[in-house]
Amino acid sequence: MTNVSAVGTYLPVWATKAGRVTGPDEDVVTMAVEAGLAALGDRSGEVRNIVLVSRDLPLIEGGNSAAVLAGLGLDAHVPVVEQLGGAPATLDAIANAAAGTLVLAADLAPAGAGAVLVSHDGPSLTEPGRVTRSLPITSRGRDGERRDYADPRLELQRGLHVAVDALELQDKPVVVAGTTVKIARELCAGTPPELPVAGASAAVFALAGLEQIGAGGLVLAVEQASAAAARLGGVPTVVRNELAQREPARLRDNPGPDIAISLAAYDRAFEAKVRWEAGSCNACGTLAFPPRLRCFECGSEAGWSLTPLPRTGEVYSCVTVHVPVPGLPTPYSLAIVQLDGTEVRALVKVTGVGPGEIAIGDRGSLVLRRVAVRSGIPDYGYALLPDAVAGSAEEESR
Amino acid sequence: MKRVAIVGAGMTQFKEHFGLGIKELVPMAVSEMEASLDKGLDRAKIEAAWFGELTTSDGFPSGILADSCGLMDIPVTRIENACATGNDAVRNASYAVGAGVIDVALVVGADKVRESSARGTFWEWAGLTRDLAWDYPLGLVAPANFALHVARYLHESGATREHMAMVAVKNHRHALTNPKAQLRYEITIEQVLAAPTVVAPFGLLDCTPQSDGAAALLLVSEDVVDQYTDHPVWVRGTGLGLDRVMHQHKRDMTSFPPTVKASKAAYAMAGIGPGDVDVAEVHDCFSGVELISYEDLGFAEKFGAAALIESGATTIGGSIPVNPSGGLKAKGHPPGATGVAQCVELFEQLRGHSTNQVDGARIGLAHNIGGPTAVSAVTVLSNQKG
Repeated sequence: MTNVSAVGTYLPVWATKAGRVTGPDEDVVTMAVEAGLAALGDRSGEVRNIVLVSRDLPLIEGGNSAAVLAGLGLDAHVPVVEQLGGAPATLDAIANAAAGTLVLAADLAPAGAGAVLVSHDGPSLTEPGRVTRSLPITSRGRDGERRDYADPRLELQRGLHVAVDALELQDKPVVVAGTTVKIARELCAGTPPELPVAGASAAVFALAGLEQIGAGGLVLAVEQASAAAARLGGVPTVVRNELAQREPARLRDNPGPDIAISLAAYDRAFEAKVRWEAGSCNACGTLAFPPRLRCFECGSEAGWSLTPLPRTGEVYSCVTVHVPVPGLPTPYSLAIVQLDGTEVRALVKVTGVGPGEIAIGDRGSLVLRRVAVRSGIPDYGYALLPDAVAGSAEEESR
Repeated sequence: MKRVAIVGAGMTQFKEHFGLGIKELVPMAVSEMEASLDKGLDRAKIEAAWFGELTTSDGFPSGILADSCGLMDIPVTRIENACATGNDAVRNASYAVGAGVIDVALVVGADKVRESSARGTFWEWAGLTRDLAWDYPLGLVAPANFALHVARYLHESGATREHMAMVAVKNHRHALTNPKAQLRYEITIEQVLAAPTVVAPFGLLDCTPQSDGAAALLLVSEDVVDQYTDHPVWVRGTGLGLDRVMHQHKRDMTSFPPTVKASKAAYAMAGIGPGDVDVAEVHDCFSGVELISYEDLGFAEKFGAAALIESGATTIGGSIPVNPSGGLKAKGHPPGATGVAQCVELFEQLRGHSTNQVDGARIGLAHNIGGPTAVSAVTVLSNQKG
């Protein structure tokens, strides 16, 4: 038995008929961090280890975990397991987690992310069941190319139904992750909540769905011919960071040579850049962002310590680049943001709004985004999410 | 310190010189400079050269100058100081002549922007001027770098895009008579406002074109000036100013502090003030930058640039004509050559022979601002030794 102590969800602002889609500055890492921050609130001190479940991990050779830890503001000593999997794997990871585990799950299509803090409070998750079988209707190998066998009836009858039967459930689930709305309705007792995603994060959205139902119940997660189930003993605490949806901005892809990267410079900047921390002068406390050897104020070269920066601020100046820049989708907006309560200004990209929908004096929050992909390497940093976007989500949830 | 005079000046046309390399453009500019000398030039008298070049098309810059101009027996030093390169080359050469170390110095500025693809330039230049980890990946391309200032300037000053357009219209009109200019056609305010947006608030016609070209000057000491001309143009003042390199560290983005510092130094050295300037070549890489520079150079009070351009004062015939050559906007902007070419224009203005002459011009000012808006160089020239 485990306890679902806190649930967080994240949905990108952009949506098509097929569901939410990532902006050009989002990936599994940035979305998992958004969901993780929503789940954790002020409880990050309880995290002892992390499991990140996805089938869309950006850096297969490594590098994702450090960005996740930095984005969440967690210590680099916290172990992270990067796990390939869909909805059953996520539900399984939550149901079998030790207290102090943060389970993160994220998907690209439809896009979304979820996080569950397993600790000592909150409703219990019991009766875990798991069936693992093989029917690779969709396949993706080392070449990264996705192939579709395209036989939905085979998948339903020999995949999903056989797997669910093998779980030998005592009663019908109240929510199903990893399949269509139509099939979920057929499998469930009552009308299940509609989930915005179908991959790994769907299991978290299913748990969050019990908050909408207002009662605990049996949760089922399926993927191709595998399934997992568990029973949530009550209503979970859920924080949804689900932005009101907008049509994707019309961006132009500009083919060009790879954007160069210096990994030495990347390495020097990483902690301050991905944790959103300034250098605080050890002699006088003046903040420098980025950190620098010689203090702006007192000239001390005696060193500095990293200190967290405010994540809200006001636009001092901003511009929108329309001219095609090779390797970047255009147009894009840049802003210099005066951070609240400090002398620090930051130069950042603007996220979550269409090009040019930003003006001097606008307020917003700083969020982790993939600033660029440079020669295949995701370069993470912070972007300004105008309050106009975040505000619209609050209105919707009210 | 010895007085330093410019006695010869020449430049290539500024344009897309796809058919000519840096190895052709540099000797062409030097030969034209040579031809401008009233009493001729024996190249063997040149004792040292300074070569302003921002990028290095075709390799090792100093060697290319020496090799392509037949100057194999003198020291050549390359100057690179972002868009302030040209006037900084003038400053360095005038120090050497002024110090009495040498009597005859060659100054050359050149660049071939169009040696790269039109869009490829964005990343090449960003790589020269941006922090590789923090700012480079944001896509802070050159126009955005200046637009961050101009957007804030418009917000605080009350100046409008129409005022920016007036700068572009004026400088295009000025370029009509300049055979060296890249864009010799008139434009209207309506055309500027309707042009495709490059980086808001800059439309295409607010921006300098991408240019290739070279320019050359001969600087000599007062001890030998009579051997070269009876009508020298004196280098009365030079200045160079810097600022924080990251935009997020510049406290007031409605001004370019490097320009204030550089012009203050140049005015002090020349013993003049901004009111004494008769003609100026100002760094108008983007229209709004000329407006801000009016204030930084002291031609207008703070936020008085809109009124100044509206009044017509900066047009030929006005009280302080700016960019009679067409400026970067219409003459073109091969960065290493730009500042040197400004001095070529002023050399002709102060000798009364410009194709767009400012009547009775006695004191001229050349100004560059560049890089991450963090460096400016200013040169004050006069036909009076002072």
